[in-house]
Amino acid sequence: MDLIVCLKRVPQTAEAEVQIGPSGKEIVRDRLTFDMNEADSYALEEAILLKEKFGGTITVISLGLPDAEDTLRIALAKGADHAIRIKAEDFGELDGFKTASLLKDALVNVKFDVLLTGCVATDDSLYQVGPVLAELLGAPHATLVGKIEIAGEKAHVNRELEGGLIEHLEMSLPAVFAVQTGINEPRYASLIAIRRAAGKEIKLLGKDDIPSEHRVNSTLEKLFVPPAGKRAEIMTGTADEVSARTASLIKEKGLI
Amino acid sequence: MAKNKKIVVDINPEIRDVLVEMGAVDIYKCYQCGKCASACPWFQVGTYDFPVFRYPLETALGLVASSEEKEDLAKEVDKLYRCVGCEACVDQCPLGVDIPDILRAARRILLDFGCYPEPLKSVVQKIRNVGNPLGEPREKRADWAGDLDISAFQTHMEILYFPCCIPSYDARIQNVARSTARVLKKGGVPFGILGAKEQCCGEAIRRVGAESVYQEAAKANIRSFEAAGVRRVLVSSPHCLVTFKNEYPELGSSVEAIHATEYLWPLIEQGRLKPAKSVNKKVVYHDPCTLGRQCGIYDAPRKILRSIPGLALLEVEDFAREFSLCCGAGSGALWLDWPKGERIADVRIKQLVDTGAEVIAVACPYCLQMFEETVKAMNLNIPVMDVTEILYEALNEKGSAE
Repeated sequence: MDLIVCLKRVPQTAEAEVQIGPSGKEIVRDRLTFDMNEADSYALEEAILLKEKFGGTITVISLGLPDAEDTLRIALAKGADHAIRIKAEDFGELDGFKTASLLKDALVNVKFDVLLTGCVATDDSLYQVGPVLAELLGAPHATLVGKIEIAGEKAHVNRELEGGLIEHLEMSLPAVFAVQTGINEPRYASLIAIRRAAGKEIKLLGKDDIPSEHRVNSTLEKLFVPPAGKRAEIMTGTADEVSARTASLIKEKGLI
Repeated sequence: MAKNKKIVVDINPEIRDVLVEMGAVDIYKCYQCGKCASACPWFQVGTYDFPVFRYPLETALGLVASSEEKEDLAKEVDKLYRCVGCEACVDQCPLGVDIPDILRAARRILLDFGCYPEPLKSVVQKIRNVGNPLGEPREKRADWAGDLDISAFQTHMEILYFPCCIPSYDARIQNVARSTARVLKKGGVPFGILGAKEQCCGEAIRRVGAESVYQEAAKANIRSFEAAGVRRVLVSSPHCLVTFKNEYPELGSSVEAIHATEYLWPLIEQGRLKPAKSVNKKVVYHDPCTLGRQCGIYDAPRKILRSIPGLALLEVEDFAREFSLCCGAGSGALWLDWPKGERIADVRIKQLVDTGAEVIAVACPYCLQMFEETVKAMNLNIPVMDVTEILYEALNEKGSAE
């Protein structure tokens, strides 16, 4: 079974103070740590599990700046066989559609049975790349995937819907799955695997390799921090004062 | 009877070499006497198998974090992060093998590949982002000072007080910084703080393996020291002390670091501080590993406590001074949660409480936080206090509100 996993290196912003840079269109990257997008690490683990079960190869691909190679190398250490970086520095402004179409051109000669992506990247939260890439590749797709089982030429997948519902689908292969976090338990890489990964080649694709025109469908105008809402109350004081005030507010508003 | 299978040892010289390159230089000193195992706090816990004595040889064979099987590897990595860096093993080793340092070599490699426990990732992230492991804003770093009227450090001042992260932000432990500042004022010591220009000393994340984030933090502090003309730094945390003393000089720092207890005892001796108010309590002193074994400071905190009228100082038999049992919070372990029954702090608290003490005294914010949480979890009603907090009480004639 041949597998492809799309990976993105993203800033870890869940618990960070994010600042907007002078251009108004990007965040200040200096003081942030970067890592594999969370959902992508689950997509990668799912691919490794499928490879362990059915054999085959895993190709990982990332559209990113040179430091995305660190992320690709982590994937190589965990069990991917081939890695490709599309040089983001060659392609200017990106959106979900352009990212997907660059990925499609880069993958045009890579055979696959299952292509996995994370369902969303935590930096731009577009939810687009998986489905758009599937359309461009002419493959069926499922988003928000929480379980994948492969039997013969068919995939059985569960999608997690709002309200605690699960949708079960039967799909033909090759197919594209955009997976949810929590679908599995991502693994560590052993020191031996890390050493082996250090020597593996990462194929680079730049504008000479992907020459056709790629357009963006949307252009980023600006990033901004929303003005503070009027309903918020910032409590100050000692821990006891704040907790007493919180408790009385909860009672007052009839929340318990 | 079946024939014994030949045991094949899968030696990975490549891994050994890279671990040596990353700092595991002590591996060949070990002659496997096993003395470290009895010194290791996990031996006292008794419910978790942490074969500390095996790490030098396993490293020499390239067998650390080497399993190719997912579950086994997860256990191996978990094990690497069980070392709390207390250095009891180093202290007992006849040849001074630094096993925590050996483990750190593997941690450094794993960290670069994101292969380390999740809770530590957010700590590394927060230190890089806002300069403290709590994720609190930089501009609130001096909020602990409140109405104490503490000025920014100026070159002519005798010392810089560097409370570091937990005493700066933790609601309970801010009182350690406040007590220290008040005691310094009473002693007439001219001192200042860096406020928002201070950031985490980085000691813990260096031991987690985050070498580059540590260096970034350390260099920023060194720049702040130089810009302000700092020569002596007074610290509440032995973790700041050990890294300022032994590790910052590697990055070009020349400041002299001194622990609060070491600085305050001479002031009492000289009569500049007079603990006159009685504290009629039985107090047991817990030697923080980093202050005791790692910096050799055992007596200053004890002398301070003994100088307080009415205070009866107790010791943990067999487990005091260089034999002190770790609180279990070092080398990043403060942010890891191990299953009940596998916690070093539980064992230590029992030892401390069994002395019959009414107060547990510490001289380290990590020990303080760890013990505060443990005492609560064990449903015990015993206060845990920093030595400076107890000293401040003894200096204050009018009770706690000054």
